[in-house]
Amino acid sequence: MRLERRLWRALGLALLVAVAFLWATPFLWTLVASFRPEGAGSVNMASLAPDTPQTLDNFRNALESGAFGLYYVNTIIVVLGLLAVQCVTVSLAGYAFARLRFPGRDALFYVFLLQLMLVPPALIVPNLRTVVDLGLYDTLPGVMAPYFASAFGTFLMRQTFLALPRDFEEAAAIDGAPWWAIVWYVLLPMAQPGLVAFAIVSVTAHWNEFLWPLMVINDPAKHTLTIGLAAFTRGAEGGKEWGVLAAGTLLVMAPLAVVFVAFQRRFVDSFVFSGVKG
Amino acid sequence: MSLAGTTFEGIESGAAAEARPRRRRRLRGRLFPYALLAPSLLFLGLFTYLPVVRVVVESLYDRPHGTGAVAATFVGLGNYSKVLADPAFRQAALNNLVYALGTLIPTLVLALAFALAVQRSNRLSAVLRTVFFFPSLVPLVAAASLFFFIFLPGVGLLDYYLAKIGINGPNWLGDSDVALWSVIGLTVWKNAGYYMLFYIAGLQNIPRDTIEAALIDGANAWQRLRYVILPALLPTTSFVVVIALINLLTSVDHVIVLTHGGPSNATNLLLYYIFQSAHENFEIGKAAAATLLSVVVLLAISLASMRIMGRGSHHEA
Amino acid sequence: MSAISRIAIGALVLSAAALALPAAAQTKIEFFFPVPVEGKLAREMTRLVKSYNDSQKEVEVTAVYTGGYDDTKLKAQAAAKAGKPPAVVLMSANFNVDLKLSGDIMSLEPLLKGEETTRTEFLADFWPALHANAVVDGELYAVPFHNSTPLLYFNVDHFKEAGLDPSKPPRTWAELVDAAKKLTKRDGDKIERYGFSMPAGYDYLGWLMEALSMSNGGRYFNEEYGGEVYYDQPSMLGAARFVDDLIFKHKVMPQGVVEAGGVSTSFFAGKASMVLLSTGSLSFIRESMKSPYNVAFVPRNVRNAVPIGGASLVMFNGQSEDSKKAGWKFIKWISSTDTLGGWSRFTGYFAPRKSSYETAAMKEFIAKNPDAKVALDQLPYAKPWFATYQTVAVRKALEDEIQAVMNGKKKPDQAVKDAQKKADELMRPYVEQTALKLP
Repeated sequence: MRLERRLWRALGLALLVAVAFLWATPFLWTLVASFRPEGAGSVNMASLAPDTPQTLDNFRNALESGAFGLYYVNTIIVVLGLLAVQCVTVSLAGYAFARLRFPGRDALFYVFLLQLMLVPPALIVPNLRTVVDLGLYDTLPGVMAPYFASAFGTFLMRQTFLALPRDFEEAAAIDGAPWWAIVWYVLLPMAQPGLVAFAIVSVTAHWNEFLWPLMVINDPAKHTLTIGLAAFTRGAEGGKEWGVLAAGTLLVMAPLAVVFVAFQRRFVDSFVFSGVKG
Repeated sequence: MSLAGTTFEGIESGAAAEARPRRRRRLRGRLFPYALLAPSLLFLGLFTYLPVVRVVVESLYDRPHGTGAVAATFVGLGNYSKVLADPAFRQAALNNLVYALGTLIPTLVLALAFALAVQRSNRLSAVLRTVFFFPSLVPLVAAASLFFFIFLPGVGLLDYYLAKIGINGPNWLGDSDVALWSVIGLTVWKNAGYYMLFYIAGLQNIPRDTIEAALIDGANAWQRLRYVILPALLPTTSFVVVIALINLLTSVDHVIVLTHGGPSNATNLLLYYIFQSAHENFEIGKAAAATLLSVVVLLAISLASMRIMGRGSHHEA
Repeated sequence: MSAISRIAIGALVLSAAALALPAAAQTKIEFFFPVPVEGKLAREMTRLVKSYNDSQKEVEVTAVYTGGYDDTKLKAQAAAKAGKPPAVVLMSANFNVDLKLSGDIMSLEPLLKGEETTRTEFLADFWPALHANAVVDGELYAVPFHNSTPLLYFNVDHFKEAGLDPSKPPRTWAELVDAAKKLTKRDGDKIERYGFSMPAGYDYLGWLMEALSMSNGGRYFNEEYGGEVYYDQPSMLGAARFVDDLIFKHKVMPQGVVEAGGVSTSFFAGKASMVLLSTGSLSFIRESMKSPYNVAFVPRNVRNAVPIGGASLVMFNGQSEDSKKAGWKFIKWISSTDTLGGWSRFTGYFAPRKSSYETAAMKEFIAKNPDAKVALDQLPYAKPWFATYQTVAVRKALEDEIQAVMNGKKKPDQAVKDAQKKADELMRPYVEQTALKLP
């Protein structure tokens, strides 16, 4: 009986590792291909076995095709700047919906939720006009602006706040603490996992954004990573230098990988404690 | 600003209105929630509702390309009937349905499976979690190019390794029967790990007692899964379904980059159809009408799912 | 006086001095450009623009890389609608009709008048095949910048191996089929190497079908009236049947749609012996192809004829007068004989000016690179790129059908009929306002 169970378990483990390997294959190939010389085409270019003469040429070409360091900085500015503002708006709004009673609350909440479906890429042209009217064209804040209010974040924080026990707030209220003190010192620390969960969603989404930043930004010094990558991937006549493409992709992915691996524990924990579960 | 005058749920504000004028405090109190919502509403108004109003207005006019921007005739619902009659729209809608189901089910199943497999906190699980989650951190522009290579006929990754085991792959992106499924494959790869995190959280929130009770009752792994774990995960599942549906219907970066809707409209999705109408065909009115139609459908689905989930979360709170 | 006050006064004095200086009358303009093949072309363009900025003080150009041809159009139009039109855009050469109809681009005639030159004089130095796409309704709207034609690239080693003479590449469709059959290598059921392959993704396919139907004696579209295309005429039907046969009857071409990136990769990997690709990829192929290769004219069935491709410089509406003047200055510089010649040598596109080929640098280059010479020799047979009302949608109407043929879903005869029907429907609004508008 025990042997059978052990066998099943071993099988399960083997299957898991196989699937994980399958999942990781695109990245493995990217890793191998970026060091492989002659990037444009050969019969064995898909091979996952590294070639013997390794080369850094691809990286050199990738770095030369754009100021990747600058693109990194720009992307980080956009992502973190946006997150900072979003934390404020979603916390305030989430608190209002979770803890306060006021006329039109439920209706307003649904109005918020509408935003989930009206994603900015679908509204590019009118939004671009608004951005210009606000004087934010070709600026990083212009890239961030449509996302400053987040229906998803509001929803998440509302769930998080709803799930928190009210004892602490009541105690603080009785002690005469003003509302902002209650929010800042009592609620937010307890809601931290929800904020972290939201942070992950927001950062992931905006790190990946391509179309909207492309529309808003002209100045090459303000380009984000995705626009920089596009130089390899959007060639109009369709030629592809695979080695350089792989190297460029690696340059974009690597820091993210490092950050995620380092903070993995916290990421998962935050999802656990937030209202995300339902 | 003191809390007096604000209506709190479940908290009675002790300090009644004695020293300061009641009316002013109550007014401020009443405006307080709106003040909190104000920043969000401002941005929502500027970047979500204002454009929508513009879109609605646009959808009622016909601005035929080439007759100059001046001559815009009011056609009422004319654009809507044009859209519904367009075979490309119907193809896109059908594709989206197939895409939604074809992506949603495998993604959820895999997300749950991964979560069950790697929820423990040991070294191997941590590594595996990273491997599964990582695809969602890659910008779609990069992922699309990678997959362009993976799907390349003959020398691409898939065909190369399939050839080694003697299988002749189809033209993954160029065969109109297969192309949509290849795009589905890319989406599943990209998203499964992301939803896996939600499920891990959900799993860890199942009270130990419930599981232990099941074990004591002699339930095997399969029964535990079916009768204990899955029901307990219903709220999580509803949540993930809504998020996934919204994602599915609103991200078309990979179609833009990989297939441009082809071959022969096989991978045309609703949002891409809108994109094309507006930017390639200069048919703004039609694009606006299609946008509204898609939004209405999305809204319906989301509201329905919210209801289900709302019921679920009330059990919790 | 405190340190702060001193600094404040100092700042005031400096700013007053700065204001007193004559302001440099410099106009800043933006130039949107797509990149044909690789990242390094974007770098080269940026370098080129920088050298222009350094060479004079009146105009400062910001070169903005904007993705592929479609992204560029998208971004330029979005920017224009938002009130920030770019001064100069490098746009696909056949978008001019649509862009003029949508009111996006401006006629260059006033600028020509400002220089007291005429359209004919201005275009005289440009290859005749390029004139039609640069002119819309009798006015100059675009200045050609780099152009291409399709070319047949073939693997010399494969030819020798199959017993074919690499110095006698196929000239007719019959010879093409014959060579392709000899070059296709089979391993049982599986095809190891295809004799022939061509890109069939959106945009490329339309261009190549134009090449094939032209080589079959036809026109694809009415060069003088943007409301007519000839999909269901024998020339296009023959071309569609030819593609169908190559895949299903002769079995020398892969089934289904293969994008340009896939075709070039197979060529490099030796999985396709002959490919139909743009001269715009010439440099890229020259650098990446490890085995010997050569190029030849697009094979003919009835005659030698190919469409041009490439991009031209256009100016968007909605600019200030200063911006227009600055943009025109920049256009003249970047489309000058030497600049075009240098860009051509770098990219593989051919230079739109005849004079570029008279320069010593170019003569030397052609002598060293015989493949570039073949591309040049095909020029006399080049004809305009299709440009109609709703160019992209009308093109897609054909491409969707041909793609269905390549996937074995439709027969060519039905496909071209359906394509024509769809195209006619798309062009109807325009046709009803013009040819069918009777007193």
